[in-house]
Amino acid sequence: MTEGTMTIVELPKQRRLLRLPYAWRNPLAIIGAVIVGLWLLIALLAPWLVPFNPVAQGSDRLLPPNAVNWFGTDALGRDVFSRVISGSQTSIPVAIVLVVVSLVFGSVLGALAGFLGKAVDEVIMRITDVVLAFPSIILAMVIAAALGPSLINAVVALLLVSWPQYTRIMRSLVISLRGSEFVIAGRLLGGGVFSSLRRDILPNVAAPMLVMAAVDFGSAILLLSGLSFLGLGAVPPAPEWGSMVSDGMSNFSAWWIAAFPGLSIFTIVVGINFMGDAMRDALDPRSSPRSRAMDEED
Amino acid sequence: MRVKMRATAAVSVFAGLSLVLGGCAAGGEPDAAAEKVLVVDSTFALSSIDPARSFEATGTMVNHNVYETALTFEGSDLSELVPEIATYTISDDNTVVTLTLDGEHSFSDGTAVTVDDIVFSYQRLQGILGNPSFLLDGVTVAKVDDSTVTLTSETSNPQLPFILPNPALSILQQSVVEENGGTLDESDDAETFLTSESAGSGPYMYGTVAVDSSITLVKNPSYAGDEPYYDRVVINNVGADTQRINVEGGQTGLAMNISSDEAEQVDDSKFTVTTGASAATYYLWLNTNDEFGGIASDVNFVKALRHSINYDDILDVVGLGSEQPGGVVPLQFAGSLESDENNTYDVDLAKELLADSGYAGETINVLYSSENAFSANVSQIVQASAAEIGVNITLNPQTAANTLDVFRSGEYQAGLANWGADYPDAANYLVFAPGENIGARVAWQYGDGGTADQIAPLVEAAAAASGDDERSAAYIAFQEALNDYGPYIPLFQPASILVSGEGISGVESNALWDVDFSTITGG
Amino acid sequence: MPQAPVGDAAVATPRRSHPLLRYISIRFLISILLVWGVTVVTFVVTNLVPTDPVSAVLGEQAANNPEIVAALRAEMGLDQPLLTQYWLYLTRLVHFDLGMSAQTRGPVAADLARAFPATLELALFVLFFSVLLGVGLGMLAALRHQSWLDKTIRVLSLFGISMPVFWIAMLAYYVLFYQLHWLPGSGRLDSALIPPPTVTGMYTVDSLIAGRFDLFTNAVSHLILPALVLTLFTIGTLIRFSRSAILDVSQQDYVQAARAKGLPNRIINFRYILRGASLPILTMSGLTFGSLLSGAVLTESVFSWNGLGQYAYKAAISLDLQAIMGVGLLIGVVYIFTNFAVDLLCGLIDPRVRVQ
Repeated sequence: MTEGTMTIVELPKQRRLLRLPYAWRNPLAIIGAVIVGLWLLIALLAPWLVPFNPVAQGSDRLLPPNAVNWFGTDALGRDVFSRVISGSQTSIPVAIVLVVVSLVFGSVLGALAGFLGKAVDEVIMRITDVVLAFPSIILAMVIAAALGPSLINAVVALLLVSWPQYTRIMRSLVISLRGSEFVIAGRLLGGGVFSSLRRDILPNVAAPMLVMAAVDFGSAILLLSGLSFLGLGAVPPAPEWGSMVSDGMSNFSAWWIAAFPGLSIFTIVVGINFMGDAMRDALDPRSSPRSRAMDEED
Repeated sequence: MRVKMRATAAVSVFAGLSLVLGGCAAGGEPDAAAEKVLVVDSTFALSSIDPARSFEATGTMVNHNVYETALTFEGSDLSELVPEIATYTISDDNTVVTLTLDGEHSFSDGTAVTVDDIVFSYQRLQGILGNPSFLLDGVTVAKVDDSTVTLTSETSNPQLPFILPNPALSILQQSVVEENGGTLDESDDAETFLTSESAGSGPYMYGTVAVDSSITLVKNPSYAGDEPYYDRVVINNVGADTQRINVEGGQTGLAMNISSDEAEQVDDSKFTVTTGASAATYYLWLNTNDEFGGIASDVNFVKALRHSINYDDILDVVGLGSEQPGGVVPLQFAGSLESDENNTYDVDLAKELLADSGYAGETINVLYSSENAFSANVSQIVQASAAEIGVNITLNPQTAANTLDVFRSGEYQAGLANWGADYPDAANYLVFAPGENIGARVAWQYGDGGTADQIAPLVEAAAAASGDDERSAAYIAFQEALNDYGPYIPLFQPASILVSGEGISGVESNALWDVDFSTITGG
Repeated sequence: MPQAPVGDAAVATPRRSHPLLRYISIRFLISILLVWGVTVVTFVVTNLVPTDPVSAVLGEQAANNPEIVAALRAEMGLDQPLLTQYWLYLTRLVHFDLGMSAQTRGPVAADLARAFPATLELALFVLFFSVLLGVGLGMLAALRHQSWLDKTIRVLSLFGISMPVFWIAMLAYYVLFYQLHWLPGSGRLDSALIPPPTVTGMYTVDSLIAGRFDLFTNAVSHLILPALVLTLFTIGTLIRFSRSAILDVSQQDYVQAARAKGLPNRIINFRYILRGASLPILTMSGLTFGSLLSGAVLTESVFSWNGLGQYAYKAAISLDLQAIMGVGLLIGVVYIFTNFAVDLLCGLIDPRVRVQ
């Protein structure tokens, strides 16, 4: 009996995660990974890569891109290239924090809602619905404006509106799993809610949730730079991409001030989305007849 | 697949059609072909256009063009008073101002402007306790006869005539306003009416008013002065970033918020860039209280900071027409200080003074409004300048609402702020004295045994002075003392920049009400 | 990506008495509950704000006068305990009184009546095109699965959702208006034109009602640029979503059966596939509409559109509490009832939904 249950417990775990490597067959995934990898490298090595001090002001204001200042200079004479490079150190880690925290918080709530059901489920889902119904960017703006512009406050504001999506998905995943034989068996074998969640459910939801988080990372960067663009995020003279685009808007003809930070945001988010898309495809057993055939081979 | 193709094709055809039609419409004729329309782009700073309540730039500008005041200024010159509805005399002790109507002005419905209207408008301003009500604090308004009004002040008030041209003191038509809920106290309910209809005698009157997007002015047929060239003035709320494109693209006749850097790129042969000194002084303030200011309350520290700032860099960034005033009074007002040795860029002297102050590496927090275009850039320059002599500054930008809130608490360490003149007279700048408006924000109060008491006699002398020369000298002495041991560092006075389209002339910038549309002519 | 909640695969006792009606009623009641929840959230958030809202309104001199400050606080209702304020707010709400905006000095309801149609017009325009193009392209990609067309469409959709909206808006404005003069500049109508008399507040509709075709084309031409920018953004999600939904459906047995039967492609595509995928696509469209209403802040500020987004932004940064609550409530309500409408349509289309 024990032997049989063990086999049933193990199979789904293998089956789900096993798929991810197939993502690499997708050329988009490789391109995406290269782009993201490059940016992570830049973010790590930024202090050594910048030709000029990103906050050092100069008297050569608003110079177009040239041999010395590859991306030109801004209104205070600072080198745009250096600012773009060090901007990665601001935007990327903060976005990661945002995603991780909302993932954890949202998933725990969703798992509880899905697993415990009934009253707990109703309450959590109604709260989630209300927060989802509320226009998130406006809530974020109000919170950020009230707390005062700073990256941390922007993250707090965004956290408060970003967790519901994880809750919803987690909940539906948990609900679809909890009726499975192996989960029921696991509970019969003893062990409370949390060990059941950890041992049986978690391995099976990890992959889709991680994919969601990976894709959300892109939106996190967009939202953070959006708030900074509105003046509610990073504080000067910090070189944050969103606020750099906003600076560039007051000097329209000096197009380089806004173009390059915007391009940076775009490239990294595209890279993330390429990867996320490929991962999602790999996980989804129905996305191609070929993987469906693989499914049947198991 | 064919169906999908057809659908997509249909969509593209529709889109293309819209584009083409839109293109045709975009280049098409305006509604009334013979009507002369001036399109103005302005980033609205507006909450109320009821003159007795309006206190922000756009409201003030609109009010000036729609109402008349007892006295006024011509063009951009704020030093010489010119009669509008009345002429004035002032008593020798500066307590009584007498206004005599010339009797030639009428409201938009043809009714003549009378002394009753003046008395009503002024008393309403005082009574409804709005933002501009302080302008007539301590003044009693009284009708003498059908052509004379007296304004009696409790104390010597030589600046009162210079307050009269402020659009907050616009003359409203009493009968119309009272009909629509106007009273002389807080129960006044005429604001809604005055937001859609103008009860005024100025060159224009309201056409349509949408407070957040667009205000249209049409000619006032009963205006007593020269008929303006433009039949209609459309003022649109447009962000600064897109104004230059609008002017150069021919969509706009006058742009009011184009930045200096952008204005320098405009083709001079086709478009006109007009600059005018503004009445705004940007300054750095430091809390004088040891508890809130820390090292910032030390006089030597403040002096060190004065010499560390690269004022030329600041003027460079602020741009066209900007100047560094010697003191807090703007340079074009009587009683202004041209320059002061205390506010010169001298890094070595700064370091010496810093050592004297006992600065030990503490961080100075500088508060400013993130919504102000200049503040963000200039704060960063100040931060960089301070870093050169070894002072750590952390910037704390907040929204305008938050900034005001924190500033007014009187407990913050330091900040960058600006004072826009309420009226063009040095007396307005006594707000920087201890215990007054700004003084209270930096916790500068009399009775501290320190710098506040030291400056007290100079403040009294300035307030009591009479006659142009005496007053000028007194205010200069006041500002010199402020520069010596006061908590303010005047940084710059920006210019306002107006860019007008091809063929448009007669644009003059006025520091109080931005621009007078009635003097603009077109091609 | 949010999905419709998956219910238990429970066996429902067959009810003869109007399952559809019951479904509708339940959904409606839940919507009302959610609206109430939105009012609570809005109220709590705006009152937790540490800044004194009076500061934003008063000038320097007025702020020094305690009489004026007290009068303003009384006028704004700030001198009363929170619960009382909330109760007052609710009672006024029932009469559709949303309070006075401290910034525009007028009723918030009037401000919203002005700003909302602008955003609504834009959102509907964008929704129409992005659903048409998004679903169309998604279907194309799904049916030509794994072909070059599919791959290109997928890559383009990924580009779409990766772009920072504010940047693209600026770029589009700079290139298409400033450099090429293909499209008109900021605002909803050429500055020299007088807007049509207000019926709905939407210039396109009102100008047609007034019979002014020239105003109509002008308004449409002004809509194109912001709509283009927003469409680029929303189309990405719709393409991917409809593609996967259609892929799901097209591999179902009943579709395979229809193919085997030799039915023409057109019938398979519309009657079977699109019908089957319509649920998730409908849900997604509803969500897109909701996000368009609230997320247009950045685009609106670039194009000086003076819609809800800009109003919300100004209200947020000046802590105009009544206005913030008004906007939050309006968008929340529209969002909730859009979902309600979507749920309704889903219930109508697919009877299985009603059983849950």
